[in-house]
Amino acid sequence: MSLLSFTYGIFKVLGYDLATFVTFLIDSIVFLLVASVAVAGTIYFFRKYMARVQLRIGPNRVGKFGTLQLIADAFKLFGKESILPRLRDDLPYKVAPVLVFIGLLVAFSILPYGSLYYIGDIFISNSGVGIILLFAVLAIMPIGELLAGISSHNKYSLIGALRAVAKDISFEVPMMLSVLAIVVMASARTTNSLNISSVVTSELLPYGILEPLGLFVFFISMIARASYTPFDMGESESELVSGYSTEYTGMRFGLFYLGMFGTILLGSFIVSLFYLGGYNGPYSSDIGLIYLLIKAVIVVVISFTVWLAMPRIRIDKFVNFGWKYLLPISVINLVLAGFLTIYLGW
Amino acid sequence: MEVQEPKRRIPLVGTVEGVLTVFKHVLMKPVTVQYPEEKEYVPERFRFRIFLNLDDCVGCTLCEQVCPNKSIKMETVKRNNPRNKRMIYPDVNFGTCTVCRNCQEICPTDAIYLTHVFETSRTKNSFLYSPEELAMPEEEVKK
Repeated sequence: MSLLSFTYGIFKVLGYDLATFVTFLIDSIVFLLVASVAVAGTIYFFRKYMARVQLRIGPNRVGKFGTLQLIADAFKLFGKESILPRLRDDLPYKVAPVLVFIGLLVAFSILPYGSLYYIGDIFISNSGVGIILLFAVLAIMPIGELLAGISSHNKYSLIGALRAVAKDISFEVPMMLSVLAIVVMASARTTNSLNISSVVTSELLPYGILEPLGLFVFFISMIARASYTPFDMGESESELVSGYSTEYTGMRFGLFYLGMFGTILLGSFIVSLFYLGGYNGPYSSDIGLIYLLIKAVIVVVISFTVWLAMPRIRIDKFVNFGWKYLLPISVINLVLAGFLTIYLGW
Repeated sequence: MEVQEPKRRIPLVGTVEGVLTVFKHVLMKPVTVQYPEEKEYVPERFRFRIFLNLDDCVGCTLCEQVCPNKSIKMETVKRNNPRNKRMIYPDVNFGTCTVCRNCQEICPTDAIYLTHVFETSRTKNSFLYSPEELAMPEEEVKK
């Protein structure tokens, strides 16, 4: 039983082809809505959390406890005039924010979310190469940032985009190596070691316990992927006005903003799926979604605390950090994973 | 004196300490006071709003002379007061008043004095209180 078969059961009367089509269509739309609402909830949570860290109260005027503040902000962004720079490169300029946001939403639809009582397993695509697909989709978002920076015809945007690309290059290799370590360990227990749900289901212990180095590298990579404060060289609002999103206004800027917070949420889901045991938990396997959400929220809180606690590091220091520290650590982690798999059979 | 290298520490320890320090602040109470709904605490001996007793004022102009930045000017008010033959009373510009209490100290009849009221928020150009307004409580002046 899964979400797909649950929906298929409702539309069975339409015949096989049409019912499959409608099932995927409706599930995708539901997923997009849920993902968008979850991202908005993340932004609200961040604003409340940041306020409490800074001994403020945060949004509390629109709706009860300010819960409708994000809807008000979205309407404000929709209502704003979209100011276009005269010397822009038109098509990339308009495509870039959409590319960032679509990459995020597609990445959300690749993950498995565990199961809930009557609905069953919640996923849209249960691809046999889900891990590769996930990181391929995640690699779309930097392209959107690069396009935005170059097509804006603005030196701040250009420098921001170049910094973002330098940052991406320096953390993506260690990130993929630490994921490879997981695939290595999972391949000993399952034949389907590139499928995310079989990787999560077949684990003996959470991989974060077996590979703490991998967790460290991957968490830092996810911070850098979402590009918030310790590693927000692409944006660095105190030096480059707003980096690659300098020339964007209205909802186009809003898409970049949503993309950033969505990546935090997505990164938390990925970290908790790969390293913290995902939807596995004690007592009952019917509430996997709740276990996953609890773990993801904890990771989100840690991410926000890191965001609020740290200053931005310099771009050359981050590139050094990526190549001189993260890469060797992830290689050591890979060797250790192979050792654990072959000799100890974990 | 030679500049010394900072002491080397284990990497990431300081980072984790900083993160924990930030996290501790979540558990503290916010310091924001939501002003119109809840009032800021005002100490008991706090004094701001100047009050004038028109019957006691003898128009001696001492308060005008002692005011350090000339917030007090004398003004003519047609009023039947046998002790104030010149019919001049002080007005106060709260935009420049520094709450030094010199006027209260020097007043020979204790006609002018400062009160505990602190909500005298005004729009621009309406900081000047005429003698009649000084004699009224703050709620009536607002009307």
